[in-house]
This record gives sequence, structure tokens and C-alpha cells, in this order.
Amino acid sequence: MSNGTKKPNAQRIRGALSFRKLQQASILLLLVGLCAFASFRSPTFFSWTNLVDNLLTNAAALGVIAIGMTFVMIAGGFDLSVASNTAVCSVVLVLTMDALSPYGAAVAIPAALLLTALVGIGLGAVNGVLIAYVGVNPFVVTLSTMLVFRGLALILTGGGQALQVSNTILRKQFEWIYEAQFTLFGQNYQISMPILIFLVVFAIGIYLLRFTRFGHYLYAIGGNEQAAWLAGVNTHRIKASTYILCGFTCAVAAVIFVAMTSTAQAESHVGKELVVIASVIVGGTPLGGGSGGLIATLAGLLLLRVIENLLTQFGIGAEYRPVVTGLIIVVVVTVDVLAKRRSRK
Amino acid sequence: MYSNDRLRRAQSSRVILQMQGIVKEFAGTRALDEVDFDVRPGEVHALIGENGAGKSTLMNVLAGRFDDYEGLITFDGRQVRITSPRQARDMGIAVIYQELSVLPNFTVAENIMLGDEKAQRWTRKLDRASINAGARDIIEYLRFDLDPDEPVGRLSKARQCLVEIAGAMRRNIRLLVFDEPTASLGGEDIDKLFGVIKDLRGRGLAMVYISHTLGELPIIADRVTVLRDGRMVGTKAITDCQISELTRMMLGHDLAEAFPAKTNRPGRVILKVDGLSRPGVFENISFELREGEILGIAGLVGSGRSEIVRAIFGADNARGTVEFRGRPIVGRSPSLCRVLGIGMVPENRKREGNITGRPVSENLTISILERLSGTLGFQSPRNLTAHASRMIEQMKIDPPRPQMDIQDLSGGNQQKVIVGRWLAAESKVIIFDEPTQGIDVGTKSQMYRLIMDLASRGRAIILISSELLEITKLADRILVIRDGRLVREMQGPETDEDALFAECGRKDKPE
Repeated sequence: MSNGTKKPNAQRIRGALSFRKLQQASILLLLVGLCAFASFRSPTFFSWTNLVDNLLTNAAALGVIAIGMTFVMIAGGFDLSVASNTAVCSVVLVLTMDALSPYGAAVAIPAALLLTALVGIGLGAVNGVLIAYVGVNPFVVTLSTMLVFRGLALILTGGGQALQVSNTILRKQFEWIYEAQFTLFGQNYQISMPILIFLVVFAIGIYLLRFTRFGHYLYAIGGNEQAAWLAGVNTHRIKASTYILCGFTCAVAAVIFVAMTSTAQAESHVGKELVVIASVIVGGTPLGGGSGGLIATLAGLLLLRVIENLLTQFGIGAEYRPVVTGLIIVVVVTVDVLAKRRSRK
Repeated sequence: MYSNDRLRRAQSSRVILQMQGIVKEFAGTRALDEVDFDVRPGEVHALIGENGAGKSTLMNVLAGRFDDYEGLITFDGRQVRITSPRQARDMGIAVIYQELSVLPNFTVAENIMLGDEKAQRWTRKLDRASINAGARDIIEYLRFDLDPDEPVGRLSKARQCLVEIAGAMRRNIRLLVFDEPTASLGGEDIDKLFGVIKDLRGRGLAMVYISHTLGELPIIADRVTVLRDGRMVGTKAITDCQISELTRMMLGHDLAEAFPAKTNRPGRVILKVDGLSRPGVFENISFELREGEILGIAGLVGSGRSEIVRAIFGADNARGTVEFRGRPIVGRSPSLCRVLGIGMVPENRKREGNITGRPVSENLTISILERLSGTLGFQSPRNLTAHASRMIEQMKIDPPRPQMDIQDLSGGNQQKVIVGRWLAAESKVIIFDEPTQGIDVGTKSQMYRLIMDLASRGRAIILISSELLEITKLADRILVIRDGRLVREMQGPETDEDALFAECGRKDKPE
């Protein structure tokens, strides 16, 4: 375009809407401040092991789901069923690998991964169809599917027993997905496979959201669904796709979890959907959608992780974590509401 | 794509749209009864009538919102049946609704080009350059004063309206419908919009202009069609008619008789408003209200009338003091006002009045539940229903069934329930914000008599209305609000409608 260089592009302007920017800036400031405080109080905080192994690797799986959740929430939706979906995917993954173990890892692992992805997508599609095409409220749909999917996982595990791939060789081979390290700048600085997976999904997510028509329409639907529909946007299909994408990210997260713990449990990750939604909201994607993005979600995710990490480092009991997390969500959302109120005349 | 040639060609044909014998029923009542309507290229055809006359219903038929209308529609020489908004849009019919449907989080360019974005073949990359180029083209063609990169949420209502027009024009439209576009605009913005409409008319576009502000018609319209109670009263060239004649056509002949004789007599000051301000909305409003007085507040929609009374009632925060019987009300809130004896019948009945999904009895008694409560707050259902029945009788609510869901009543009867709520609370001051909006003439007349009756019995009334005739016929004094300021006080009975209209801030006074 003729004067594309003169004016900032539309995406940046959207980010520049004053209060949003203020909130994002405040999250980043808070994050930086906390890290500074942490490194001051605890010399080990800025060690590569702490940052990469404790902080990021452990956050990678939930981070992947948070990416899917961001898509859903920008378009104005909501998904409570992610943790249950992940549990079903974990169980399916282990069961398939077990069943196919006689054919060797070269068959069992790819087949299990494929089936798991299909299950995650399928469960996401159930949400998507009910919400986007039938028009049932997202809260109601995903609250119900949260229960149904959890039940499915219980049924598949014969009432909730922990599953493990019985073939030890296969199990070890699969754990590579968690344990593999990639050298970056020398032996002491390696990043783990989960981080790499997260970064790949994140990059794809950024591309979809910021550079494609699909991403553009997500913001349109979150901004004013009726207007988007009247302008000829196929809002149903796009909304449904966000839940399918979110389901897929659940499957990816399940793979990371299974590789990490070597087991699949029907009762795993209970309540984690709230942590995921919390990181998206803390980052700055509002309930109701229309703005926000993946960088924001990453900031929200890291903020929650850093605080949790700090609490651990200072030996503060795990029982305080929910309190702190809850307070942060309330504070961040309150600041947002106040800023909005002020910016309105 | 939008060449003048095509439009000029279209202009040569006689009509672009012809609607014949349109009938539309809602649950047994005829909202449209054999209505005929047509539009020619290069003309602005105004469609006027009171709320509930069927203007919007007729345009909704055109916009494809109903699939069960009867009658014939011919568009562009072909007979069509319009059953979905998509179909209407694809045919080239666009409606600019009063509630604008723009995306506040998108830029002007992104809004204009919504639904028509290009993506690269393999990477699926969104072509932002084409969005900006396309939007620039159409903005330039229409000579609109818009910056393609500005977020729409930051624009004024008038500018947002331009964005919608530009978005519609991009789609190669043949007929543009404006649904009361000036209702939410200020004076300057209205002039700007009229300039745009005249320009589009010059380019040969066919337009329908829905309004119930008669004063603007001579400026903007070529022909006028009047609807009343779902029926056509007539179609006239604007040069052939007087405002007073249009008023008669709109209201029917007997409306002057619908107003009761003035029987109230103002007494002591009961409410004193001093220096009420809300930055950017209204500024330094001061006035007194007396017992038994009907005080009219006139002004264009958006002038700040409703915001002022909302602030008095404590529904919005504002600086300044309000004294009730000589004592300032500290920490105004709706619940405090209710206890003191100030009631408000809000403008937006559906959103702020009705407690939807609950029976009439509960809607009537919500303001006086303390009084109806027994020991430990026990609410006797029988007590409640008995009280509601008395109010239903007093207010002549029809059908007289306390257990009926309020949303199943007609607009006029819903309004009676809301008014009855404040009568039950024995309010000394009652604020009516557009009390006759969207209700039929018969109920209006009942509402006028009720207001006069309340004032005669010593209640103090604040009356806001866009129907200036109502204010001039009922009010003792009239405050004129323009752009958030109290610009004049007029004596009610001496003022006529046209003089009041001129005061309200429209520079162009109808001849």
C-alpha cells in the first residue's frame, strides 16, 4: 500500500487503545518487577535451571492450552472443558500405545499421537458445534462437557486407575518427548522439548491470529458478532473452529503431560481449566473478547508462574497459592474495569 | 464498481423498489395492514409515523428480517421475496440502524472492508494493504472526512454512521435505508449527515429515511409517506405539505382532544437542583420543582435530558446538589430516592423498567416490598396479589391478571405497570422519561390524564418527551436543554410546538 510506512498498521493501533495498553504495560512491569525482586532475594532465581526447567518446562503444557483458550476467548467464547479434554486425551494416548506396543515404537507412537490429536479435535468439535451452530451458551455447554469428558476418562480407565505403558522400552522412548534437550549456546544452556513444542504452537498461533483472515475475523466476532455476520462473515464456522483448535491444543498438552509423568490418570488436571482461563484474563484478553492476544496470554501465564515459583523458593506453602492467584486475578480485572470506566467520558 | 454511469442508468428507470399490499402480523395483531410503498432512484423518501406505527416493521420486511409477510415486492424490475438479511444485502439493500453495528475494536478501514478481505493463496496471509486501499478508494469516492487507520471506537456517533454508510456503499448498493439516523446525533453532526445524504442523492442513489422528527423533513426529503397504526395514511411530495398537516396525518385528527384540561396548581418548592454537572454530558443545571407542577424538559435526543434526570435520581454520578423539601440529598441513589419519595419511569422500558419474566404483581410491588412485609420479612403472596389487583384496577391495566408475565402485555400496559410501581410507593416527585414512547394513541391519552391527575393531587412531575406537543400541552414550565446546557425556560401553556422546536437547537426552522 502506498503509505503503509507512514501510518502504523491496523494491528498496532488496535493494541494502542489506551486502557488496554495501560493494562498490558502494567502486567509487563509487574512481571519485570517481580523478577527483579526475585533475583535480589534469591540468587538461584535467575539460574538457567530455575528459569528453564522449573518455570517454563512445567508451564509449557498448560501454556499450549492457554494458546487455544486465547483463540476461543478473543472470539467471545469460553471453554471450561479443557482439563477434562486433556485427561481423555492422556488416557487415549496411553491406551493406544499399550495396545499397539507389539508393533514397535515406530508404529505405536505415531499412531497414538494421531489418534490423540483426533480425539482432542473431536471433543473440541462437540463444543464448537453446540455453541456455534446450535447456539447454546458456551458456559453451559462446556460446563456439561467438562463433566461428560471427565466421565469418559473415568470409564476408559475402568474407574480411575492410573495407566502406564506396560512396555518399558516403549515408555522410555516416549519419555524422550519430555526429556530431550536442545543445545542453544553451549552445554549449560539447553531448552527442553516441551518448551520447543510450546514455542512452535505459539508461533503458529501468532501467525494465525495476527496475519490471517481467520485471526482478523476472530477479533471481528468478539467485537460485534451480529455486525460481522451481517457483513457476510461465516461466524458459525469460525467460532466452531476456535473450539476445535482449543481441543487440539488439549491433545498436545496431553502428550507433554504423559511424557512427563509416564502415566495417565482420569482424575488428572482437575481445576486446571481455571488456571488456563486465569492466565488468559490476567494477560488482558477480556471475557467477551474483541481484543487481547497471545503475547498478552504469555505475559499472564508467566506472571502466574513466576509468582508460584517465588512462593516455592521462599518456602511458602502450596496452600497459599490459590489465594495469591485469586487475588492477582481480582486485582488485574479490577484495574481493567477502573481504567475502562475512566476512559468512558 | 461504483461508477456514476451505472447510477445514472438506474435513474432513468421509474422506481427501483415497489412494495404492494404488505401485511405483517405479530401474534394476531396486524403491525402492517396493506401498506404500499415505493422509492425512485435519486430520491429520499421519508417514512414517518409514531412509534409503533409500523415504520420499522416495514423496513424490516425489506431487510429480510421476516419470512412470513404477505404482499408483493418488486425490486429493480423483478418480483422478489426477501426472506433473509443476507438476501437483502446481496440484492443491494442496506439499512443503517439507529443502533449502529460497527466494530469498535477495528479501524475505519477494517470496518468498511469487513467480510471482503483478501488472503494470499498458500500462506493464507491477510492482505492488509488491500483493506486499506479499498477503504481509501471508497472514502475518497464519497468524499468522507475519515482516517482509515483510526479505531472506530474513538469516533463520534456521526462518524461511526459514516463508516457504516461507506461499508454499505462498498457493496454496490441500490437502496439505502436510514432508521432514525438523527436520533442520537448532535446539531452539527446532523448537518454533516444531511450533506452526505444530499450528495448520495445527487449520485442517483435511492434512499428511505425513517423519522419521527418532522422538522427535518423539508430539509432532506423529496416525498413523505405517513403510517399510522400499521396503515398507510398517504404519500405526498414534501413541497405540497405543511408540518401541521403531517402531524395531523401522523396522529389522527383527535389528538388535540386527547389532552386533558389543565387542572393542576403549583404550590411550594419540593425539589431544588443546584449546579448539577457531569463533565462532557451536562453542565451547571439548576432549577426548582413545585408540588403540583408539571415541569417539561425539552431537547433533542442526546442533548443530555435523560442523563440529567438520571443524575437527579442517583442512577448516575454527578456534581452539584439536589434538595428535597429543603434538605440536600446526600449520597443520591435510586434506593434512597425511593425511600424519600422520588420515582422515575425510565426511558428504556425493556431494559430499565420491566423485570422481564416476572408476573405483573411482582413488577407492581417491587418498590414497596418493605411495606407489604410482615414479621421477619415474610411476604404473603395473598397480600401481594391483593395489592397488585388494586393497582391493576386503578391503572386500568389490561388484561387485569396479576399473574401474567409483564413481557406479554402491550407496550402501553407495560408502561402502566411501571408508573403504577411509583404510585404504589406514593412518590411525591415522579420523573417521566419518554412515557409515551412506543405506545398507542388510546393509552397515550390515558397516560396524559394520569399525569395531569397526579399533578392535580399535588405530586410534582418532571416530564421528558420528544413529542413536543405533549410537553406544550401538559407542562406548566418548560426547560430547554441544548448540548448539555439549560438554555431557556419557557412558559408551557403559552408556547406552541413550532416555537419550542426552534428553541431545541435545530437551526433550520421548518417553514
